[in-house]
Amino acid sequence: MMTQKTEKTTISFSDEVTSRHGGETLTACYQCGTCASSCPVARLDSSFNPREIIKLSLLGAKEEVLSRDAIWQCCSCFNCQERCPQNVEIADLIYALRNIALEAGHSPNIYSDFASALIAEGRIVQISKFVEKKREEYGLPPLKPVGVDDLNKILSATGFTKPEKTEESK
Amino acid sequence: MEQPKIGVFLSDCGKQLSEILDFDALTSFVKTVPNVTLIARGSEFWRGKGLQTIIDSIKDKKVNRVVVAESLTKISDINIAQAVENAGLNPYLVEVIDLKDHCVWPHQKTPKEATEKAKAMLLAAIERAKLLEPIEKIEFPAKKSALIIGGGIAGMQTAVDLADLGFEVNLIEKQPFLGGLSARVGRFFPTDDCAICIQPPSSDVKTITHTSRKCVYRSGFSEIPNLNILTNAKVVAVEGVPGNYKVTIEKKPRYVDADKCVACDKCVSVCPVETPDEYNANLSKRKAIYINVPTVHPQVYVIDEDACKFHDCAKCVEVCPTNAIDLDQKTEQVTLNVGSIVVATGFREFDTSAIKEYHYDDYPDVITNLELARMIDGFGPTGGAIVRPSDGKPAKKIVFIQCAGSRDRRYNPYCSGICCMISLKNASLIKEANPDAEVSICYIDIRTTGREHEYYYERAREMGIKFVKGRPTEIYADEEKDKLIVDVEDALLKRFLDLEADLVVLASAMVPAEGTEELAEILGLDLEADGFFKEYNAKLRPTETKQKGIFLCGGATFPKDAPTASLHAHSAAMKATKFLTSGKIVKDQRTAVINQDYCGDCEFCPVICPYGAISLEPTTEDHFVAQVNELLCEGCGVCVGTCPLNAIELRHSRPNQMEAQIKALMSMNGTSKPLVLAICCQECGHTAVDSSGMAKMQYPANVRVMKVPCAGIVRVNQILEAFKAGAQGVMVVGCKSDGCHYEVGSENAEKKMDSAKVLLKEYGIEPERLEMFKMVYIEGAQFAEAAKMMTERVTKLGPLKLMVTEGGET
Repeated sequence: MMTQKTEKTTISFSDEVTSRHGGETLTACYQCGTCASSCPVARLDSSFNPREIIKLSLLGAKEEVLSRDAIWQCCSCFNCQERCPQNVEIADLIYALRNIALEAGHSPNIYSDFASALIAEGRIVQISKFVEKKREEYGLPPLKPVGVDDLNKILSATGFTKPEKTEESK
Repeated sequence: MEQPKIGVFLSDCGKQLSEILDFDALTSFVKTVPNVTLIARGSEFWRGKGLQTIIDSIKDKKVNRVVVAESLTKISDINIAQAVENAGLNPYLVEVIDLKDHCVWPHQKTPKEATEKAKAMLLAAIERAKLLEPIEKIEFPAKKSALIIGGGIAGMQTAVDLADLGFEVNLIEKQPFLGGLSARVGRFFPTDDCAICIQPPSSDVKTITHTSRKCVYRSGFSEIPNLNILTNAKVVAVEGVPGNYKVTIEKKPRYVDADKCVACDKCVSVCPVETPDEYNANLSKRKAIYINVPTVHPQVYVIDEDACKFHDCAKCVEVCPTNAIDLDQKTEQVTLNVGSIVVATGFREFDTSAIKEYHYDDYPDVITNLELARMIDGFGPTGGAIVRPSDGKPAKKIVFIQCAGSRDRRYNPYCSGICCMISLKNASLIKEANPDAEVSICYIDIRTTGREHEYYYERAREMGIKFVKGRPTEIYADEEKDKLIVDVEDALLKRFLDLEADLVVLASAMVPAEGTEELAEILGLDLEADGFFKEYNAKLRPTETKQKGIFLCGGATFPKDAPTASLHAHSAAMKATKFLTSGKIVKDQRTAVINQDYCGDCEFCPVICPYGAISLEPTTEDHFVAQVNELLCEGCGVCVGTCPLNAIELRHSRPNQMEAQIKALMSMNGTSKPLVLAICCQECGHTAVDSSGMAKMQYPANVRVMKVPCAGIVRVNQILEAFKAGAQGVMVVGCKSDGCHYEVGSENAEKKMDSAKVLLKEYGIEPERLEMFKMVYIEGAQFAEAAKMMTERVTKLGPLKLMVTEGGET
């Protein structure tokens, strides 16, 4: 088994995480691994392990946590959060890490596409002809257009900005 | 009252104080103070010739108040008070101050300022001495008998100790048999020896050596003449005071007369009723008339009320050769009069069915360590075989899960402390008997901190027990494989393991025994946040409670292994002995007194008193006044600080005494800085001042220190008095909230100071002039810093301007 070398640590990183909404419970973790064994994603993809993300955050491996794809793979099922014996809010913590990553310019490009769509059309997923047809079949009314102008006012008031596209991370 | 004739004794501590202070100026100043009839100077007054001078002046010169300026106050206080008492004067008519640590050393660079401060300190001591009143000793009788609640290892050990020392001991046990948890677990770690032995009583003449331990049933324990054992019994009410409790005990019927039963087992063989055996984790059945295991005490059968058919059957009655069975026995109430109570109620396993993902309720093959211990016990339900409860087949793959409900903020946030060792013990015992068994332990951290405990862990590894670092997320059943699967990540390998198991053993958390809350209510004891009984101070006063005369031991305070429980038990016996041995409780009357003319119909003091020493008693039909129980009162004055009507005072710290001190301390400055009054509690606050002086930490001499029993005694109007008397700033110095010697005093003082600040603002006084500080003895540096900080702060604020109202009052 290859042992990875952690290049650089930032002592203050765990403070940065705990000061974030959702990141407050980071330091309660004692690495029991209940989250990892609860995680359906970790079963399928060995590059994702919530316990490891927390450990790296506690150690201050900022670059590693923020630049790797792992934090974007959580499917937010909250299994880990339900079972954590230390009440670490693991899924919320991963959201906090994603927010930090976004600000630092790390995000998968699909999130940039989502954001562009939200700003332009008020929806992350466009309404396809297929969906319209299906709704008609089921007797559902057509989806109303989103008030894009109003939405954009909210987005700018809350500081929502479109993440820059980056070279796809590996 | 007799006119005060004050003798002032000035020690220069081997000339070191007179090098800084102008002693001639001090002497001439003291001479001018009214009522001072004698001044003596010397090198030391707390021992030898100096002490004799004090004694002589009381005897010959008729001095009736003694003021001593010494160093080493805490030691001087004791010696001087003793000598004064021997000379025929009440020892509370003495005031000792420390000119070295409170004046000379912290102000050694400003001798003139120090001399002025010394004058103020002496004046304050003299003014206080004038107002002191004699305080008498009172005696309360104490019964030389004890009640021990709980017949497990801790309760039994305490009982043997106290009985050996000659006290009348009553040991009560809720269950029909003694032994508690230790009897059930069978073996103890780290020696794997038998759990049911105790130290035999020294009254057993046949005990060859006192080091020879014995099983409870053959220890002679039950035959100690001054030990009364009550099984099947529980406390339902306690009245009275320390030294004299009246305890009501409810004794459930056993339906078998202990004096007649010969334990022949005939009743058991004819009893037609079978019921699950709870003692054996319901893994086997027992009869309605039963005994737990053959080696219990008492060796007397008991009838299970819920299972027995009584007169519809009565087969046991027919067969009993000694007519010991009485199906009509009734619940009895027993009243005991005891001087002291020891709580030894122990702990129990947490109900792991709360952890849904472990399916304790769903899968019979998920068991707890205690249930496993019953299986391991040769007297147990399986005769020592490790089986799957679901089908009785041998269990070959066994997985332990640690921290089942411990270190888990959803259930019990604490580490239960003993479960790692329990699992290591049980795992090793299994492996020893069945080397082929596959035994794994899933752990978060293995905690083996006691002597020999690490070797126990080492041996377990040598035996081939597997260790998986990870807390399983779930147990599920694989029906095809006919196994349970424990789903866990080995964090060290970063791999997911699906451990197959015939038997999953949960290392359940340990929680307070059933009925703990109810008993705490009956005894007036506090519980910790985790639900265990609260010890008064685990370091300094272990096994004591806030109720004098009631002690705790064993697992009642927290889960313990047998050696620790035993140690605790002997400690409780020692404490109870100290309390009971003289047959009386002697206490001085440094207690609170109520002025019944002002007091009435409010509940502040009874609620705030940390010792439950104040009650409301009716005087007329609709008028209630507070009454102080002098035995319980600790003389802290938290009640005084709370009373809205000034209706309660301490004999040893009257408001007029405090007012006189404040005025004296503020009557002269002698420094270029504004005066600051530091009101310090006699515990950590005042000793922090001591320690800053002892370390020669410097702070300005404008800071004047006044000692009070507890910060909680301080009243808002005294703060105002201080400002009126000339203070430009007031510091209140108490203990840290969780270290307050009177439980709630410091915290109350802090709240009060917060509201006082609001009031000060109303009066046009800057609230920053008042500040509460909390420190411990060793934080002398913090006191010096605080003193400097307050001085700077009030200097910046400039002179205090008091508003003058129409009446001319401020």
